[in-house]
Amino acid sequence: MDNLIEIKNVSFSFDAEGEKRDIIKNLNLNIERSSFTVILGHNGSGKSTLAKLMNGLYKPTNADGSVLVDGIDTKDETSEIEIRRKVGMVFQNPDNQLVASIVEDDVAFGPENLGLTPEKSRERVDEALKAVGMYEFRKSTPHHLSGGQKQRIAIAGIIAMRPECLILDEPTAMLDPKGRAEVMSIITRFNRENGMTIVLITHFMEEAELADRVVLLSDGEIISDGTPKEIFSDIKTLKSTGLDVPQTTELLYQLKKNGIDIDTDAISVKETAARISAALHLEES
Amino acid sequence: MASIIEVKNLSYTYDGDAQIVKDAIHDISFSIEKGEIVGIIGHTGSGKSTLIQHLNGLLKPASGEVLLNGKNIWDDPKNIKDIRFKVGLVFQYPEYQLFEETVFADIAFGPKNMGLTGDELKNRVESICDTVGIKREYFDKSPFDLSGGEKRRVAIAGVMAMKPEVLILDEPIAGLDPKGRHEVSAMVKNYREKFGATVIIVSHNMEDMASLADKLIVLSGGKLVMYDTAYNVFSKGDMLSEIGLSVPVVTKVLKLINEKNNDIRTDIFTLKDAVEYLCALSAGGKNA
Amino acid sequence: MLKDITFGQYYESNSIVHRLDPRTKILVLILDIVFLFLTKSIYSLIVPAVQTVLILIISKVPAKMFLRNIKTILPIIIFTSIINLFYGNSGTVLLTVWYFTITTSGILRAVYMGSRIILLILLSSVLTYTTTPNDITDAIESLLSFMRIFRLQNAVHMLAMMMTIALRFIPTLVEETEKIMNAQKARGADLENGRLIERIKALIPILIPLLISSVRRAYELAEAMECRCYNGGVGRVRMKRLKYSWADLWAAFINIMFCGGIIAINTLI
Repeated sequence: MDNLIEIKNVSFSFDAEGEKRDIIKNLNLNIERSSFTVILGHNGSGKSTLAKLMNGLYKPTNADGSVLVDGIDTKDETSEIEIRRKVGMVFQNPDNQLVASIVEDDVAFGPENLGLTPEKSRERVDEALKAVGMYEFRKSTPHHLSGGQKQRIAIAGIIAMRPECLILDEPTAMLDPKGRAEVMSIITRFNRENGMTIVLITHFMEEAELADRVVLLSDGEIISDGTPKEIFSDIKTLKSTGLDVPQTTELLYQLKKNGIDIDTDAISVKETAARISAALHLEES
Repeated sequence: MASIIEVKNLSYTYDGDAQIVKDAIHDISFSIEKGEIVGIIGHTGSGKSTLIQHLNGLLKPASGEVLLNGKNIWDDPKNIKDIRFKVGLVFQYPEYQLFEETVFADIAFGPKNMGLTGDELKNRVESICDTVGIKREYFDKSPFDLSGGEKRRVAIAGVMAMKPEVLILDEPIAGLDPKGRHEVSAMVKNYREKFGATVIIVSHNMEDMASLADKLIVLSGGKLVMYDTAYNVFSKGDMLSEIGLSVPVVTKVLKLINEKNNDIRTDIFTLKDAVEYLCALSAGGKNA
Repeated sequence: MLKDITFGQYYESNSIVHRLDPRTKILVLILDIVFLFLTKSIYSLIVPAVQTVLILIISKVPAKMFLRNIKTILPIIIFTSIINLFYGNSGTVLLTVWYFTITTSGILRAVYMGSRIILLILLSSVLTYTTTPNDITDAIESLLSFMRIFRLQNAVHMLAMMMTIALRFIPTLVEETEKIMNAQKARGADLENGRLIERIKALIPILIPLLISSVRRAYELAEAMECRCYNGGVGRVRMKRLKYSWADLWAAFINIMFCGGIIAINTLI
């Protein structure tokens, strides 16, 4: 298998008021190239820390733990820039990621740092803005845009560095439903059409539906790992970790609890409807 | 029943740059009965935040008026501060307004501004914290050492401590995990039950609205397009989707089943009702 | 409004002045101001007056925009003029009040000083009306690039980066301040009334949340910049390069001619 990111025996801890706090506990995880992985976890599960370990923003605090990006150890200081270029990262608050007060200048920030020629930078900025559907706003100021639009600009800023992998740390948490849908459709398209490796960190279960693989994180440990269907059918575990269970899945779960023989592995409205129709034999009329 | 809040032909536009889309409101009228829970729904920029800031006098109407217990709140502009104690407004992400050294002091900020001092102030803060479940051991902690959900609760308690007759909350559970959401919902419920307050909630979450609100105000482009019971509003799914809103997810599921099977009811909007209905259907066949 | 500071006073148009390289505009402005102060009397002020009016006309910025700027500092203009009114020590005495005498030369001097400030304001306004703050920032960075010979390029880069980030975040912070103010007002905070001490105290509930959020923003922005391969500007190549054109050369030449005119009149009169 071709792994883009390999996390081996990684722990991450820090001292808070003299007390050692373990955020990530001896964790192993491989991210396959061109895959779409969702890391689900409640607030404080260590999911943001895990994301930052993947592009070397944080380094494992145990000596034998290592994170390899395309074979390069993130502890290797000389490869810092190369790792960051390969693994781009988008954060929760779009406002705090934008550097310049003109959209195209902001998107150019990454390519400029990489030392590309002005012509090359221009090409990548235009390409990235078109990819997120914000090209017509290239001369605008981010302050006048909506949250969803700003988050798309932030994504464009990363895409302009042509990374192999995109890590998104709760990119939709601060957006309204419209902005959330826009961002999700862009991420999915990058994975499906361009084969970009995607690691999406979230606490919205709905967003995990589109992934190839879901990793469930709780208190710094992986407690389950599988396809969305496998993970979602085990609602008890999901709920015990304090996760958001969407009402579709919750509906199926409640019906099952009430003695109806029904599969609980659906999230989308369409599949939920199909499960209910099948279980209640509603199809025949 | 007497209306506690009455809004008559309210309009407001922000001056300045035309290129900035601002949520202006146009000719809005409605009234809210005492003790009701009213939800306000509408997409971003529909005028929701402009509307709620008029209800506690943070914004002054360009035209029209806002009546509280039958009196125009701007009758005496000098007393507008008192209106804010009667109509408590909790903004989005209220934890960002915490500033005091201790939880107690932060919750006491509002009552202190009302003129409460000494024992009266202490009793006020304690009684609110007891009602909404903030334990005494938190009183001396710094609000900045709390978790996200705890901060949110302290911030909301800071508004409740003024004992407003009308409590307005803008997206009170946005960004919280299920535990935090549950706790915030419970504190609003407890407050309402104990003080008989009227509650106005702004939210994007149709599922919450369906299970919480008695009535819904639907805003679009700064205009009031619907004001009716939650049942009647969600029954008009087509109209909602036209303005970029939707019905609760369980209703969507039932509608989809209904496409193939016309006997299935589609006028169910909460999870609880849907479970009951489908269980009955399963037990008694399609005639249930 | 303060919120729109990213655009500063920029007035969108497509005049020759707008299209000039921002570095040219800054250098020419400095040159013109220096020569404005080299004028010796009201007579030599005629040259920069004509020059300024011509620039204003070709900038295509409406006259009322310039008048607005003058209006805001009118008190300073009047104050300076009045002070200078009593400085005349020659010419016909027109009026003596108590210790003060007003002479014809005093009047000329007052007019001269007042007009000089007005011209100064008008010229600077042309720069801010025709150039976006972003362009001004880029121009300053470019103009200061000679500092490289003193090994100060890092300082210049930092200065430019700070200006860029400030332009980006001022509107965000202004909006945030408004939000926090509203939230505290909703809790009964009184920001308008009371004595000075009380009003300063009333700012605490606003300043502390604002400070905390700014620190948080700064921290997050630093991480986001690191993720975009920023490492203090080493090896950074800007996408937009400022480019001089023939128009810049002409603009510089014409302005130098006018400055020559000032010297000529200074020596003749």
